[in-house]
Amino acid sequence: MVKVVTIVSFVIVSLFADLQKSCLACHEKEQIPSELIYKRYLLKYSTPKNIEEAMLRYLKSPTKTTSIMPPQFFLKFPMKTEIGLDDDTLRVNIELYMKKFDIKKRLYYR
Amino acid sequence: MLSSQNRSLIRFLSIYLISTLMLFALASWLFYSFTKQHLLDQQKDILLYEASHIKSQLRELHQSHSNRLIYPVAEQIESAIYDLDKRYIFGTLDERVELHSMDDIDKIYAIVDIEPHYLGAAYLLVVKNIDLEPITNLENKTLIFMLIATIFFAVLGYFLGGLFIAPMRESIERMNYFIQDATHELNTPISTILTNIEMIESMDKNLKNTQELKRIEIASKTLSRIYDDLAYLNLNHNYHRHIESIEIGLMVEERIEYFRVLAKAKELKIKLDIEPNIVLDIDKNDALRVCDNLISNAIKYNKVGGQLYIQVTQNTLVVEDSGVGINERDLGFILERFRRANKSEGGFGIGLNIVNHVVRNYGFDLQISSQQNQGTKVVIRW
Repeated sequence: MVKVVTIVSFVIVSLFADLQKSCLACHEKEQIPSELIYKRYLLKYSTPKNIEEAMLRYLKSPTKTTSIMPPQFFLKFPMKTEIGLDDDTLRVNIELYMKKFDIKKRLYYR
Repeated sequence: MLSSQNRSLIRFLSIYLISTLMLFALASWLFYSFTKQHLLDQQKDILLYEASHIKSQLRELHQSHSNRLIYPVAEQIESAIYDLDKRYIFGTLDERVELHSMDDIDKIYAIVDIEPHYLGAAYLLVVKNIDLEPITNLENKTLIFMLIATIFFAVLGYFLGGLFIAPMRESIERMNYFIQDATHELNTPISTILTNIEMIESMDKNLKNTQELKRIEIASKTLSRIYDDLAYLNLNHNYHRHIESIEIGLMVEERIEYFRVLAKAKELKIKLDIEPNIVLDIDKNDALRVCDNLISNAIKYNKVGGQLYIQVTQNTLVVEDSGVGINERDLGFILERFRRANKSEGGFGIGLNIVNHVVRNYGFDLQISSQQNQGTKVVIRW
Protein backbone atom coordinates (compact mmCIF):
# COMPACT_ATOMS: atom_id res chain seq x y z
CA MET A 1 0.00 0.00 0.00
CA VAL A 2 2.79 2.34 1.04
CA LYS A 3 4.60 1.47 -2.15
CA VAL A 4 1.55 2.32 -4.27
CA VAL A 5 1.08 5.69 -2.52
CA THR A 6 4.75 6.44 -2.90
CA ILE A 7 4.70 5.57 -6.60
CA VAL A 8 1.55 7.62 -7.28
CA SER A 9 2.95 10.60 -5.35
CA PHE A 10 6.17 10.32 -7.28
CA VAL A 11 4.33 10.27 -10.60
CA ILE A 12 2.23 13.35 -9.65
CA VAL A 13 5.22 15.28 -8.40
CA SER A 14 7.16 14.46 -11.53
CA LEU A 15 4.21 15.46 -13.72
CA PHE A 16 3.87 18.79 -11.92
CA ALA A 17 7.60 19.19 -12.34
CA ASP A 18 7.07 18.71 -16.09
CA LEU A 19 4.34 21.39 -16.08
CA GLN A 20 6.58 23.71 -14.15
CA LYS A 21 9.40 23.07 -16.59
CA SER A 22 7.32 23.16 -19.80
CA CYS A 23 4.99 26.07 -19.01
CA LEU A 24 5.00 27.84 -15.71
CA ALA A 25 8.71 28.51 -15.53
CA CYS A 26 8.43 30.76 -18.57
CA HIS A 27 5.19 32.31 -17.27
CA GLU A 28 6.90 33.20 -14.02
CA LYS A 29 9.95 34.55 -15.80
CA GLU A 30 7.83 36.78 -18.07
CA GLN A 31 5.43 37.57 -15.17
CA ILE A 32 2.51 36.29 -17.17
CA PRO A 33 -0.59 36.05 -14.87
CA SER A 34 -1.46 32.34 -15.18
CA GLU A 35 -4.44 32.50 -12.87
CA LEU A 36 -5.93 35.43 -14.78
CA ILE A 37 -5.61 33.48 -18.01
CA TYR A 38 -7.31 30.45 -16.43
CA LYS A 39 -10.17 32.66 -15.20
CA ARG A 40 -10.65 34.10 -18.68
CA TYR A 41 -10.93 30.58 -20.08
CA LEU A 42 -13.37 29.73 -17.30
CA LEU A 43 -15.41 32.84 -18.01
CA LYS A 44 -15.80 31.95 -21.67
CA TYR A 45 -15.79 28.14 -21.86
CA SER A 46 -17.18 27.04 -18.49
CA THR A 47 -16.51 23.28 -18.72
CA PRO A 48 -13.08 21.58 -18.33
CA LYS A 49 -13.52 19.85 -21.66
CA ASN A 50 -14.21 23.09 -23.54
CA ILE A 51 -11.31 24.82 -21.81
CA GLU A 52 -8.96 21.96 -22.64
CA GLU A 53 -9.89 22.11 -26.32
CA ALA A 54 -9.49 25.90 -26.47
CA MET A 55 -6.08 25.77 -24.75
CA LEU A 56 -4.93 22.97 -27.03
CA ARG A 57 -5.92 25.03 -30.07
CA TYR A 58 -3.90 27.95 -28.76
CA LEU A 59 -0.86 25.94 -27.72
CA LYS A 60 -0.66 24.20 -31.10
CA SER A 61 -1.03 27.48 -32.94
CA PRO A 62 -0.42 30.47 -30.67
CA THR A 63 -1.89 33.57 -32.35
CA LYS A 64 -3.87 36.57 -31.23
CA THR A 65 -7.03 35.00 -32.67
CA THR A 66 -6.60 31.67 -30.86
CA SER A 67 -5.61 33.35 -27.62
CA ILE A 68 -8.12 33.98 -24.89
CA MET A 69 -6.40 37.24 -23.95
CA PRO A 70 -7.30 40.57 -25.54
CA PRO A 71 -4.94 42.09 -28.19
CA GLN A 72 -3.79 44.79 -25.70
CA PHE A 73 -2.37 41.97 -23.54
CA PHE A 74 0.28 41.30 -26.16
CA LEU A 75 1.46 44.90 -26.05
CA LYS A 76 2.80 44.14 -22.62
CA PHE A 77 3.53 40.41 -22.87
CA PRO A 78 5.23 38.55 -25.72
CA MET A 79 3.32 36.12 -27.93
CA LYS A 80 4.40 32.64 -26.98
CA THR A 81 6.30 30.50 -29.44
CA GLU A 82 5.21 26.96 -30.31
CA ILE A 83 6.39 24.50 -27.62
CA GLY A 84 6.71 21.58 -30.03
CA LEU A 85 5.19 19.01 -27.67
CA ASP A 86 2.87 16.29 -28.96
CA ASP A 87 -0.90 16.44 -28.32
CA ASP A 88 -0.91 13.89 -25.51
CA THR A 89 1.80 15.72 -23.57
CA LEU A 90 0.03 19.02 -24.14
CA ARG A 91 -3.26 17.55 -22.85
CA VAL A 92 -1.55 16.19 -19.72
CA ASN A 93 -0.02 19.60 -19.05
CA ILE A 94 -3.32 21.38 -19.65
CA GLU A 95 -5.08 19.07 -17.19
CA LEU A 96 -2.37 19.72 -14.60
CA TYR A 97 -2.64 23.43 -15.23
CA MET A 98 -6.42 23.32 -14.70
CA LYS A 99 -6.03 21.25 -11.56
CA LYS A 100 -3.53 23.73 -10.17
CA PHE A 101 -5.91 26.64 -10.53
CA ASP A 102 -9.15 24.70 -10.11
CA ILE A 103 -11.77 27.13 -8.77
CA LYS A 104 -13.68 24.41 -6.89
CA LYS A 105 -10.72 23.97 -4.52
CA ARG A 106 -10.99 27.60 -3.50
CA LEU A 107 -14.72 27.72 -2.89
CA TYR A 108 -15.88 27.50 0.74
CA TYR A 109 -19.00 27.81 2.80
CA ARG A 110 -19.09 30.61 5.30
CA MET B 1 -97.01 18.34 4.47
CA LEU B 2 -97.88 15.46 2.18
CA SER B 3 -95.19 13.11 0.94
CA SER B 4 -95.72 14.18 -2.69
CA GLN B 5 -95.12 17.79 -1.66
CA ASN B 6 -92.02 16.74 0.25
CA ARG B 7 -90.78 14.82 -2.75
CA SER B 8 -91.33 17.79 -5.05
CA LEU B 9 -89.56 20.11 -2.63
CA ILE B 10 -86.63 17.70 -2.24
CA ARG B 11 -86.36 17.26 -6.02
CA PHE B 12 -86.46 21.02 -6.59
CA LEU B 13 -83.92 21.68 -3.81
CA SER B 14 -81.61 18.93 -5.06
CA ILE B 15 -81.57 20.21 -8.64
CA TYR B 16 -81.30 23.84 -7.54
CA LEU B 17 -78.58 23.25 -4.95
CA ILE B 18 -76.52 20.82 -7.03
CA SER B 19 -76.51 23.09 -10.09
CA THR B 20 -75.87 26.27 -8.07
CA LEU B 21 -73.15 24.70 -5.94
CA MET B 22 -71.47 23.12 -8.95
CA LEU B 23 -71.33 26.54 -10.60
CA PHE B 24 -70.05 28.09 -7.39
CA ALA B 25 -67.52 25.32 -6.85
CA LEU B 26 -66.22 25.85 -10.38
CA ALA B 27 -65.98 29.63 -9.87
CA SER B 28 -64.31 29.15 -6.46
CA TRP B 29 -61.86 26.62 -7.90
CA LEU B 30 -60.92 29.01 -10.72
CA PHE B 31 -60.51 31.87 -8.25
CA TYR B 32 -58.44 29.64 -5.95
CA SER B 33 -56.22 28.38 -8.80
CA PHE B 34 -55.55 31.87 -10.19
CA THR B 35 -54.91 33.41 -6.78
CA LYS B 36 -52.66 30.52 -5.73
CA GLN B 37 -50.69 30.88 -8.96
CA HIS B 38 -50.43 34.63 -8.33
CA LEU B 39 -49.09 33.99 -4.81
CA LEU B 40 -46.56 31.47 -6.15
CA ASP B 41 -45.52 33.95 -8.86
CA GLN B 42 -44.94 36.59 -6.17
CA GLN B 43 -42.73 34.15 -4.25
CA LYS B 44 -40.89 33.27 -7.45
CA ASP B 45 -40.26 36.98 -8.15
CA ILE B 46 -38.62 37.24 -4.72
CA LEU B 47 -36.55 34.15 -5.57
CA LEU B 48 -35.44 35.65 -8.89
CA TYR B 49 -34.52 38.90 -7.15
CA GLU B 50 -32.33 36.94 -4.72
CA ALA B 51 -30.86 35.03 -7.67
CA SER B 52 -29.74 38.29 -9.30
CA HIS B 53 -28.06 39.18 -5.98
CA ILE B 54 -26.21 35.88 -5.87
CA LYS B 55 -25.22 36.36 -9.49
CA SER B 56 -23.57 39.72 -8.78
CA GLN B 57 -21.79 38.18 -5.79
CA LEU B 58 -20.50 35.40 -8.07
CA ARG B 59 -19.08 38.07 -10.35
CA GLU B 60 -17.24 39.62 -7.41
CA LEU B 61 -15.92 36.21 -6.39
CA HIS B 62 -14.68 35.56 -9.90
CA GLN B 63 -12.70 38.78 -9.81
CA SER B 64 -11.32 38.10 -6.36
CA HIS B 65 -7.67 37.05 -5.97
CA SER B 66 -8.27 35.52 -2.57
CA ASN B 67 -7.44 31.86 -2.09
CA ARG B 68 -10.58 31.43 -0.02
CA LEU B 69 -13.74 32.27 -1.95
CA ILE B 70 -16.84 32.31 0.29
CA TYR B 71 -19.88 31.10 -1.64
CA PRO B 72 -22.79 33.60 -1.36
CA VAL B 73 -25.68 32.57 0.89
CA ALA B 74 -29.15 34.17 0.95
CA GLU B 75 -31.61 33.75 3.80
CA GLN B 76 -34.06 30.86 3.36
CA ILE B 77 -32.74 30.23 -0.13
CA GLU B 78 -30.55 27.41 -1.31
CA SER B 79 -28.54 27.64 -4.47
CA ALA B 80 -26.04 25.81 -6.64
CA ILE B 81 -24.02 26.57 -9.72
CA TYR B 82 -23.63 24.28 -12.75
CA ASP B 83 -21.34 24.40 -15.76
CA LEU B 84 -22.41 24.43 -19.41
CA ASP B 85 -22.79 20.64 -19.38
CA LYS B 86 -25.09 21.06 -16.34
CA ARG B 87 -22.53 19.44 -14.06
CA TYR B 88 -22.62 20.52 -10.44
CA ILE B 89 -19.83 22.94 -9.44
CA PHE B 90 -20.70 24.15 -5.96
CA GLY B 91 -23.70 25.12 -3.86
CA THR B 92 -25.61 25.07 -0.58
CA LEU B 93 -28.12 22.42 -1.54
CA ASP B 94 -28.12 19.40 0.75
CA GLU B 95 -27.78 17.05 -2.18
CA ARG B 96 -26.30 17.54 -5.58
CA VAL B 97 -29.59 18.08 -7.35
CA GLU B 98 -29.59 17.38 -11.05
CA LEU B 99 -30.91 20.35 -13.00
CA HIS B 100 -33.46 18.26 -14.87
CA SER B 101 -34.79 16.29 -11.91
CA MET B 102 -36.52 18.90 -9.78
CA ASP B 103 -39.96 17.64 -8.82
CA ASP B 104 -40.37 18.54 -5.17
CA ILE B 105 -43.86 20.08 -4.96
CA ASP B 106 -43.11 21.85 -1.66
CA LYS B 107 -40.41 24.01 -3.24
CA ILE B 108 -40.10 26.74 -5.82
CA TYR B 109 -37.23 26.49 -8.27
CA ALA B 110 -35.65 28.93 -10.66
CA ILE B 111 -32.78 28.40 -13.06
CA VAL B 112 -30.95 31.55 -14.08
CA ASP B 113 -28.46 31.65 -16.97
CA ILE B 114 -25.05 33.09 -16.11
CA GLU B 115 -23.30 34.78 -19.00
CA PRO B 116 -20.33 35.28 -18.92
CA HIS B 117 -19.64 32.18 -16.87
CA TYR B 118 -18.36 33.54 -13.55
CA LEU B 119 -16.44 30.77 -11.74
CA GLY B 120 -17.26 28.60 -14.77
CA ALA B 121 -20.95 28.63 -13.86
CA ALA B 122 -23.42 28.65 -16.75
CA TYR B 123 -26.53 28.07 -14.64
CA LEU B 124 -27.57 29.17 -11.20
CA LEU B 125 -30.20 27.04 -9.50
CA VAL B 126 -32.09 28.77 -6.68
CA VAL B 127 -34.53 26.86 -4.47
CA LYS B 128 -36.89 28.07 -1.77
CA ASN B 129 -39.49 26.34 0.35
CA ILE B 130 -42.97 27.50 -0.61
CA ASP B 131 -44.40 29.81 2.02
CA LEU B 132 -47.61 27.88 2.70
CA GLU B 133 -49.22 30.41 5.04
CA PRO B 134 -50.85 32.65 2.39
CA ILE B 135 -51.97 29.55 0.46
CA THR B 136 -53.51 28.01 3.58
CA ASN B 137 -55.25 31.33 4.28
CA LEU B 138 -56.57 31.35 0.74
CA GLU B 139 -57.84 27.76 1.12
CA ASN B 140 -59.58 28.62 4.37
CA LYS B 141 -61.17 31.74 2.90
CA THR B 142 -62.37 29.79 -0.16
CA LEU B 143 -63.85 27.04 2.04
CA ILE B 144 -65.58 29.56 4.32
CA PHE B 145 -66.93 31.36 1.26
CA MET B 146 -68.24 28.05 -0.13
CA LEU B 147 -69.81 27.16 3.22
CA ILE B 148 -71.54 30.54 3.52
CA ALA B 149 -72.69 30.30 -0.11
CA THR B 150 -74.06 26.79 0.53
CA ILE B 151 -76.02 27.95 3.58
CA PHE B 152 -77.26 31.05 1.77
CA PHE B 153 -78.40 29.10 -1.29
CA ALA B 154 -79.94 26.34 0.83
CA VAL B 155 -82.04 28.92 2.73
CA LEU B 156 -82.89 30.76 -0.49
CA GLY B 157 -83.73 27.44 -2.16
CA TYR B 158 -86.01 26.46 0.73
CA PHE B 159 -88.01 29.70 0.35
CA LEU B 160 -88.07 29.37 -3.44
CA GLY B 161 -89.14 25.74 -3.02
CA GLY B 162 -92.01 26.90 -0.82
CA LEU B 163 -93.13 29.26 -3.59
CA PHE B 164 -92.61 26.50 -6.14
CA ILE B 165 -94.91 23.99 -4.41
CA ALA B 166 -97.45 26.56 -3.17
CA PRO B 167 -99.91 25.92 -6.05
CA MET B 168 -99.68 22.16 -5.43
CA ARG B 169 -100.26 22.62 -1.71
CA GLU B 170 -103.25 24.86 -2.37
CA SER B 171 -104.87 22.37 -4.74
CA ILE B 172 -104.33 19.48 -2.28
CA GLU B 173 -105.77 21.55 0.56
CA ARG B 174 -108.75 22.45 -1.61
CA MET B 175 -109.27 18.76 -2.39
CA ASN B 176 -109.06 17.87 1.30
CA TYR B 177 -111.66 20.55 2.18
CA PHE B 178 -113.90 19.21 -0.57
CA ILE B 179 -113.57 15.64 0.72
CA GLN B 180 -114.32 16.83 4.26
CA ASP B 181 -117.45 18.65 3.15
CA ALA B 182 -118.59 15.85 0.85
CA THR B 183 -118.08 13.23 3.59
CA HIS B 184 -120.07 15.27 6.03
CA GLU B 185 -122.93 15.69 3.57
CA LEU B 186 -122.91 11.98 2.53
CA ASN B 187 -123.26 10.49 6.00
CA THR B 188 -126.94 11.05 6.67
CA PRO B 189 -128.37 10.13 3.24
CA ILE B 190 -126.35 6.89 3.02
CA SER B 191 -127.43 5.77 6.48
CA THR B 192 -131.03 6.61 5.61
CA ILE B 193 -130.93 4.63 2.35
CA LEU B 194 -129.40 1.52 3.96
CA THR B 195 -131.79 1.59 6.94
CA ASN B 196 -134.78 1.94 4.63
CA ILE B 197 -133.62 -0.91 2.37
CA GLU B 198 -133.45 -3.17 5.43
CA MET B 199 -136.92 -1.97 6.51
CA ILE B 200 -138.41 -2.62 3.05
CA GLU B 201 -136.85 -6.12 2.98
CA SER B 202 -138.28 -6.97 6.39
CA MET B 203 -141.69 -5.48 5.61
CA ASP B 204 -142.23 -7.11 2.23
CA LYS B 205 -140.55 -10.48 1.62
CA ASN B 206 -141.55 -10.37 -2.08
CA LEU B 207 -139.56 -7.24 -2.64
CA LYS B 208 -136.42 -8.69 -1.03
CA ASN B 209 -135.17 -10.54 -4.12
CA THR B 210 -136.16 -7.95 -6.72
CA GLN B 211 -133.40 -6.80 -9.07
CA GLU B 212 -134.15 -3.12 -8.46
CA LEU B 213 -133.77 -3.37 -4.69
CA LYS B 214 -130.51 -5.31 -5.06
CA ARG B 215 -129.12 -2.60 -7.34
CA ILE B 216 -130.05 0.05 -4.78
CA GLU B 217 -128.37 -2.04 -2.06
CA ILE B 218 -125.16 -2.49 -4.12
CA ALA B 219 -124.98 1.21 -4.89
CA SER B 220 -125.64 2.13 -1.27
CA LYS B 221 -123.00 -0.26 0.08
CA THR B 222 -120.47 1.05 -2.41
CA LEU B 223 -121.28 4.57 -1.31
CA SER B 224 -121.08 3.52 2.33
CA ARG B 225 -117.61 2.04 1.85
CA ILE B 226 -116.41 5.17 0.05
CA TYR B 227 -117.82 7.22 2.91
CA ASP B 228 -115.96 5.09 5.47
CA ASP B 229 -112.67 5.50 3.57
CA LEU B 230 -113.11 9.24 3.25
CA ALA B 231 -113.99 9.57 6.93
CA TYR B 232 -110.84 7.57 7.75
CA LEU B 233 -108.77 9.90 5.56
CA ASN B 234 -110.33 13.00 7.12
CA LEU B 235 -109.09 11.92 10.51
CA ASN B 236 -105.70 11.54 8.82
CA HIS B 237 -105.34 8.15 10.55
CA ASN B 238 -104.82 9.98 13.83
CA TYR B 239 -107.67 8.96 16.04
CA HIS B 240 -107.73 7.05 19.26
CA ARG B 241 -107.42 3.37 18.43
CA HIS B 242 -109.07 0.76 20.58
CA ILE B 243 -106.88 -2.31 20.23
CA GLU B 244 -108.81 -5.52 20.76
CA SER B 245 -108.45 -9.19 19.84
CA ILE B 246 -110.25 -9.74 16.58
CA GLU B 247 -110.77 -13.09 14.93
CA ILE B 248 -109.73 -12.10 11.45
CA GLY B 249 -111.28 -15.11 9.68
CA LEU B 250 -114.66 -14.28 11.13
CA MET B 251 -114.38 -10.65 10.06
CA VAL B 252 -113.42 -11.69 6.51
CA GLU B 253 -116.48 -13.96 6.33
CA GLU B 254 -118.71 -11.14 7.59
CA ARG B 255 -117.34 -8.69 5.03
CA ILE B 256 -117.70 -11.26 2.23
CA GLU B 257 -121.30 -11.58 3.26
CA TYR B 258 -121.64 -7.80 3.23
CA PHE B 259 -120.21 -7.61 -0.31
CA ARG B 260 -121.94 -10.78 -1.55
CA VAL B 261 -124.55 -8.76 -3.45
CA LEU B 262 -121.76 -6.96 -5.36
CA ALA B 263 -119.94 -10.25 -6.06
CA LYS B 264 -123.16 -11.87 -7.20
CA ALA B 265 -123.81 -9.01 -9.61
CA LYS B 266 -120.46 -9.87 -11.25
CA GLU B 267 -121.14 -13.60 -11.04
CA LEU B 268 -117.87 -14.18 -9.18
CA LYS B 269 -116.87 -17.57 -7.81
CA ILE B 270 -115.72 -16.97 -4.25
CA LYS B 271 -113.34 -19.44 -2.68
CA LEU B 272 -112.53 -19.03 1.01
CA ASP B 273 -109.69 -20.87 2.72
CA ILE B 274 -109.86 -19.65 6.28
CA GLU B 275 -108.12 -21.21 9.24
CA PRO B 276 -110.26 -20.85 12.38
CA ASN B 277 -109.24 -18.98 15.52
CA ILE B 278 -106.69 -16.64 13.94
CA VAL B 279 -106.74 -13.72 16.34
CA LEU B 280 -105.08 -10.34 15.73
CA ASP B 281 -104.67 -7.50 18.23
CA ILE B 282 -105.89 -4.62 16.11
CA ASP B 283 -108.34 -1.71 16.08
CA LYS B 284 -111.63 -2.93 14.63
CA ASN B 285 -111.99 0.01 12.27
CA ASP B 286 -108.44 -0.53 10.93
CA ALA B 287 -109.15 -4.22 10.32
CA LEU B 288 -112.44 -3.32 8.61
CA ARG B 289 -110.74 -0.79 6.33
CA VAL B 290 -108.16 -3.38 5.26
CA CYS B 291 -110.69 -6.15 4.64
CA ASP B 292 -113.25 -3.88 2.91
CA ASN B 293 -110.75 -2.25 0.61
CA LEU B 294 -109.03 -5.47 -0.42
CA ILE B 295 -112.32 -7.34 -0.96
CA SER B 296 -114.09 -4.47 -2.75
CA ASN B 297 -111.05 -3.93 -5.03
CA ALA B 298 -110.94 -7.66 -5.82
CA ILE B 299 -114.64 -7.52 -6.75
CA LYS B 300 -114.56 -4.18 -8.52
CA TYR B 301 -111.59 -4.92 -10.78
CA ASN B 302 -112.55 -8.56 -11.43
CA LYS B 303 -113.92 -9.91 -14.71
CA VAL B 304 -117.54 -11.00 -14.98
CA GLY B 305 -117.59 -14.67 -13.97
CA GLY B 306 -114.09 -14.37 -12.51
CA GLN B 307 -112.68 -15.83 -9.30
CA LEU B 308 -112.07 -14.35 -5.87
CA TYR B 309 -109.81 -16.30 -3.55
CA ILE B 310 -109.31 -15.35 0.08
CA GLN B 311 -107.02 -17.19 2.44
CA VAL B 312 -106.39 -16.57 6.12
CA THR B 313 -103.56 -18.49 7.75
CA GLN B 314 -101.65 -18.17 11.00
CA ASN B 315 -99.47 -15.37 9.55
CA THR B 316 -101.10 -14.17 6.35
CA LEU B 317 -104.14 -12.72 4.72
CA VAL B 318 -104.24 -13.35 0.96
CA VAL B 319 -106.75 -11.74 -1.39
CA GLU B 320 -106.41 -12.85 -5.00
CA ASP B 321 -108.57 -12.02 -7.99
CA SER B 322 -108.62 -12.94 -11.66
CA GLY B 323 -109.28 -9.40 -12.82
CA VAL B 324 -107.71 -6.76 -15.03
CA GLY B 325 -104.46 -6.61 -13.04
CA ILE B 326 -102.03 -3.71 -12.73
CA ASN B 327 -99.29 -2.97 -15.24
CA GLU B 328 -95.69 -3.09 -14.04
CA ARG B 329 -95.17 0.66 -14.42
CA ASP B 330 -98.07 1.52 -12.07
CA LEU B 331 -97.26 -1.18 -9.53
CA GLY B 332 -94.55 0.98 -7.92
CA PHE B 333 -96.94 3.90 -7.33
CA ILE B 334 -100.14 2.02 -6.54
CA LEU B 335 -99.88 2.67 -2.79
CA GLU B 336 -99.82 6.45 -3.22
CA ARG B 337 -102.92 8.44 -2.33
CA PHE B 338 -105.22 9.38 -5.26
CA ARG B 339 -103.27 7.01 -7.53
CA ARG B 340 -105.41 4.75 -9.69
CA ALA B 341 -103.98 2.15 -12.01
CA ASN B 342 -107.29 1.50 -13.75
CA LYS B 343 -109.80 4.26 -14.31
CA SER B 344 -112.50 2.01 -15.83
CA GLU B 345 -114.16 1.72 -12.42
CA GLY B 346 -115.17 4.49 -10.01
CA GLY B 347 -113.15 5.45 -6.96
CA PHE B 348 -110.72 8.01 -5.58
CA GLY B 349 -107.59 5.91 -5.46
CA ILE B 350 -107.41 5.92 -1.67
CA GLY B 351 -108.18 2.26 -0.82
CA LEU B 352 -104.70 0.78 -1.10
CA ASN B 353 -103.21 3.91 0.44
CA ILE B 354 -105.34 3.30 3.55
CA VAL B 355 -104.40 -0.41 3.57
CA ASN B 356 -100.72 0.54 3.35
CA HIS B 357 -101.06 3.01 6.24
CA VAL B 358 -102.76 0.43 8.46
CA VAL B 359 -100.20 -2.25 7.55
CA ARG B 360 -97.30 0.11 8.29
CA ASN B 361 -98.91 1.29 11.50
CA TYR B 362 -98.99 -2.27 12.87
CA GLY B 363 -95.59 -3.24 11.44
CA PHE B 364 -97.10 -5.78 9.05
CA ASP B 365 -95.72 -6.53 5.59
CA LEU B 366 -97.69 -5.78 2.43
CA GLN B 367 -96.90 -7.45 -0.87
CA ILE B 368 -98.74 -6.84 -4.14
CA SER B 369 -98.05 -8.88 -7.24
CA SER B 370 -100.00 -8.53 -10.44
CA GLN B 371 -100.10 -9.46 -14.09
CA GLN B 372 -102.16 -7.50 -16.53
CA ASN B 373 -105.38 -9.26 -17.58
CA GLN B 374 -104.58 -12.18 -15.30
CA GLY B 375 -105.20 -10.84 -11.82
CA THR B 376 -103.77 -9.34 -8.69
CA LYS B 377 -102.59 -10.97 -5.50
CA VAL B 378 -102.30 -9.04 -2.23
CA VAL B 379 -100.55 -10.67 0.71
CA ILE B 380 -100.40 -9.20 4.20
CA ARG B 381 -98.03 -10.85 6.66
CA TRP B 382 -98.09 -10.18 10.39
